[in-house]
Amino acid sequence: MEPLSWIDIILRLLAQLTPVWIALVATFTISITYKRRLGLYGKLFDSTIGMVGFALVMFWVYAAIFGAFDLIITHNALEQVSGMKNKPPGTPLSGAKEGEYAYYLLGGDNLARDVFSRMIKGSWVVVQIAPLATVFAFMVGITLGLPAGYYGGKLDTLLSFLANLILAFPVILLFYLLVTPEIVDTGIPSYMGAVMFIFPIAFVGILLNSRYHTQPAIRTPLLIGVLGVMFWLYLSLISESGTKLDVIPRWLDGFDIPGGILVVFVSVVFVNSPTVFRIVRGLAMDIKTRDYVAAAQTRGEGPWYIMLWEILPNARGPLIVDFCLRVGYTTILLGTLGFFGLGLPPESPDWGSTINEGRKLLSIYLHPALPPALALLSLVLGLNLLADGLREESLRD
Amino acid sequence: MAKWDYDGPILEIDKLSISFFTRLREIPAVMDFSANVMPGEALGLVGESGCGKSTVALGVMQDLGVNGQIVGGTIKFKGRDISELTPEELRDVRGNEIAMIYQEPMASLNPAMRIGKQLMEVPMIHEGIDAKVAYQRALEVVTDVKLPDPERILNSFPHQLSGGQQQRIVIAMALMSKPSLLILDEPTTALDVTVEAAVVDLVKDLGKKYGTSMLFISHNLGLVLETCDRICVMYSGEAVERGSIDDVFNQMQHPYTQALFRSIPLPGADKNSRPLVAIPGNFPLPHERPPGCNFGPRCDYFVEGVCDTGNVMMEQISGDDRHVSRCRRIKEIDWHAPIAAAIRQEKAEIGEVVLKMKDLKKYYEVAASALFGGGSKKVVKANETLSFEARESETLAIVGESGCGKSTFAKVLMGLETATDGEILLDGNSIGDIPIEARDTATVSSVQMVFQNPFDTLNPSMTVGRQIIRALEIFKVGANESERRERMLVLLDMVKLPREFADRMPRQLSGGQKQRVGIARAFAGGARIVVADEPVSALDVSVQAAVTDLLMEIQRTEKTTLLFISHDLSIVRYLSDRVMVMYLGHVVEIGTTDQVFSPPYHPYTEALLSAVPIADTKIEKKRIVLEGEIPSAMNPPSGCPFQTRCGWKDQVPDGLCDREVPPMVTLAEGHQVKCHLSLEILHRMEPVIKIAAE
Repeated sequence: MEPLSWIDIILRLLAQLTPVWIALVATFTISITYKRRLGLYGKLFDSTIGMVGFALVMFWVYAAIFGAFDLIITHNALEQVSGMKNKPPGTPLSGAKEGEYAYYLLGGDNLARDVFSRMIKGSWVVVQIAPLATVFAFMVGITLGLPAGYYGGKLDTLLSFLANLILAFPVILLFYLLVTPEIVDTGIPSYMGAVMFIFPIAFVGILLNSRYHTQPAIRTPLLIGVLGVMFWLYLSLISESGTKLDVIPRWLDGFDIPGGILVVFVSVVFVNSPTVFRIVRGLAMDIKTRDYVAAAQTRGEGPWYIMLWEILPNARGPLIVDFCLRVGYTTILLGTLGFFGLGLPPESPDWGSTINEGRKLLSIYLHPALPPALALLSLVLGLNLLADGLREESLRD
Repeated sequence: MAKWDYDGPILEIDKLSISFFTRLREIPAVMDFSANVMPGEALGLVGESGCGKSTVALGVMQDLGVNGQIVGGTIKFKGRDISELTPEELRDVRGNEIAMIYQEPMASLNPAMRIGKQLMEVPMIHEGIDAKVAYQRALEVVTDVKLPDPERILNSFPHQLSGGQQQRIVIAMALMSKPSLLILDEPTTALDVTVEAAVVDLVKDLGKKYGTSMLFISHNLGLVLETCDRICVMYSGEAVERGSIDDVFNQMQHPYTQALFRSIPLPGADKNSRPLVAIPGNFPLPHERPPGCNFGPRCDYFVEGVCDTGNVMMEQISGDDRHVSRCRRIKEIDWHAPIAAAIRQEKAEIGEVVLKMKDLKKYYEVAASALFGGGSKKVVKANETLSFEARESETLAIVGESGCGKSTFAKVLMGLETATDGEILLDGNSIGDIPIEARDTATVSSVQMVFQNPFDTLNPSMTVGRQIIRALEIFKVGANESERRERMLVLLDMVKLPREFADRMPRQLSGGQKQRVGIARAFAGGARIVVADEPVSALDVSVQAAVTDLLMEIQRTEKTTLLFISHDLSIVRYLSDRVMVMYLGHVVEIGTTDQVFSPPYHPYTEALLSAVPIADTKIEKKRIVLEGEIPSAMNPPSGCPFQTRCGWKDQVPDGLCDREVPPMVTLAEGHQVKCHLSLEILHRMEPVIKIAAE
């Protein structure tokens, strides 16, 4: 068989991504039709920049989801096919069997795996970890930043000092330390995780209690239910047989997170939360001077109700924008971690690791490194444009 | 560049229409607006917020932003159409020929530049003169705006000056290039009353001295009366009446102007013979204006078929000088008919003493150096020996300028701070040193507060109903959710808001409606003492009357004790039973409303009364302009707190005022004054406000 021409390759790529296009068109049609009823999300569709950003982001989200269901990919991301090592894009598969896709659309890498399929599979890793890690960083930042800004004084000085300490520490060095086997063996990353993952529980617990403490009939069952489930998730998350933290029996342990990913997760949350902390602290200091906060104080509300129900909802604008930007930073951070070979297993298809592998033969074979690099670029660009669009639209009326 | 010489009117605005374009629709902000300003003349532009008065000013400056556009009519400045100027010519005109003074002085000064440099910039850019000449000019102008020690001022940064001084600098900056037209956009709204009076005096004098024409934008009719020659009243984007001050104030020919005058309290008038009449309804949104006359739906003289068709045009009033009005029924309305007598509400009987303050003191300790905490501590005496009583169903007004300690007092009463010394007795129980967390629900719910800024008083991300229900939950009212919801709807009825508002978000409400929700929330737990911190000062004139009436009506039915904090003496006179005047943490005068508003006065009360702008041409006021600024509470003057600004100080022998804080002197039953002046001198004082003989 003849190798494909570039036009053929592009046409076949577009055809392969059909499910993504359908999902994108559906999302946009529905959203634009009902945009007046959708609040800030709807306003996004008035800004070209915002729409472009949203489209880029959703492209990768859909690609990741469909890829995870093996819809888009042409080959198994880990499977090697003999004779396909470092082959250029569009090379036909040597000895393709019936039912197999007959081409490596974006060529093969130095272990003869399909670059296109690895890129799609890699997006799943990124789309899963980056937003989740950012959510955790926000939980930690908010739970500490609100009291720091609201109370001020010594508490603020102490917490801000700690935040500055973390921010002043070289990030890459920190990562290297956290993934060093000797340090992992001491259990420090697991303990850090155990501490950090407790913040969402504290956050939700305080949130519900401050809101419903006047009505014990609703409050008590609600808290028991929600906190019970969260606590079980928490224990399953941190407990892992064979490590230092093996706290609950196997039959109760819902799921296991591979140790490498947990470490990556912990480090990303750890370095992101001080910045979130500072933003939330600043916003809280501003909003606490408003009259509605004074009104809440004069009717005897507790401090946590004021922080979580009076201050936090009114700080949401800047926080949403920052969230989008921060998912972008985290994506790059994950790429960097992968590039240094930290955390994730070596055969992982995530973009950072793929770029690192492709780098070694960059002067001879460009094609294995380029697609994941472009993918990373477009996703982060999309997130930044989305943040810009949201910021612009939230200011207009 | 040379200034244009021109003999005709400085500014001619002819049938001007300005629209803003949003993503949904075109919003007409100004329609068919005409006005002329002659050389040396001051034109006042009056209207409620959103009526388009600032848009006119921005249109004259050609500074409408990306969304705004002039869609019809012309603006001629000295005979030249301003919209045809090139950007270069426009730059020459702005700041040189037309200068503008904004509301917030700090926002118009560059905080990183010395005052002198900012002033010198103006003539250096526009006239190309060198720095030395410019410095001389700056010195001269700063002297003209009556700032002490001009050289030191020129060498300081904006944050080192007080608000009043900053506004004087902004005025000085506007005068640096001797403009032909000065646009003042609410120049004194951010200032205290006594400072406002001084600034207004200054603007008037300077206008005469420099021969500058002025466009004075304000919502305060009294201020316009004091500063302007002619007035233009705007409503919902249109000029509704225009004429000389005399004609418009005494022979008004438009129902809106009349309604506006009837909704403001005049300190000279009796509250029973001249009740406040609120304008019914709400200001129409720009895209929901009615057909025909914009004021039609709220007008008492509305006639179907006459007022609601076509465009209503300006009509000349015969006999008056350039007096025009936009009303179809000018000739049919009897303009001199007396105000329909309001149903006289019987005032609830004043009951037992509910709240008693005994020698309340509140001091703050401030570390001299914030960074290291060490060093000597300074004590700020925010409240000094406050003593008074408040009874059931009584309105006690607390009057004073910013920094006088009235907010601190409110905080102590609410329990947000605890008293340094002295006692607060609520029904005989001391609550002065119990912080709010330690108070029981009954105490907390019976002392509540209504806040000043309607745009800040409600949480923007919670529905109106939810916020009231939350207050009910906290005050343990109602057994379950549905009972509380029912109670919330009753509260909405009480403040005369439609029940549908329960599910609205605060941003969908107007300022007056938000303030009503704030009142409903304060009364959620059956409050017995309500501290109202300037509850209407941020509202439009026509809404103020309605909210004030609402507060008084609720007071009648609930027998509430109202502590009304305000700096607006007109409204204080209208609604309060007793008045307490505060200055720098001290109570300087306390008594019934009649006692405080008539001589003998405390010298500070006298100055406050004279500073209030009154929108009535028949009233003669004694002018007392206070020199200097309010001293800082960190560093109060020795002896009497008011001695640095007092005009009567030389009447007290051997410098007693410098040495000793005066004792409280009882002048009559319940009337006390903190002053060293002898009784004889006090009784010789003349009333500040006099109604001229007709």
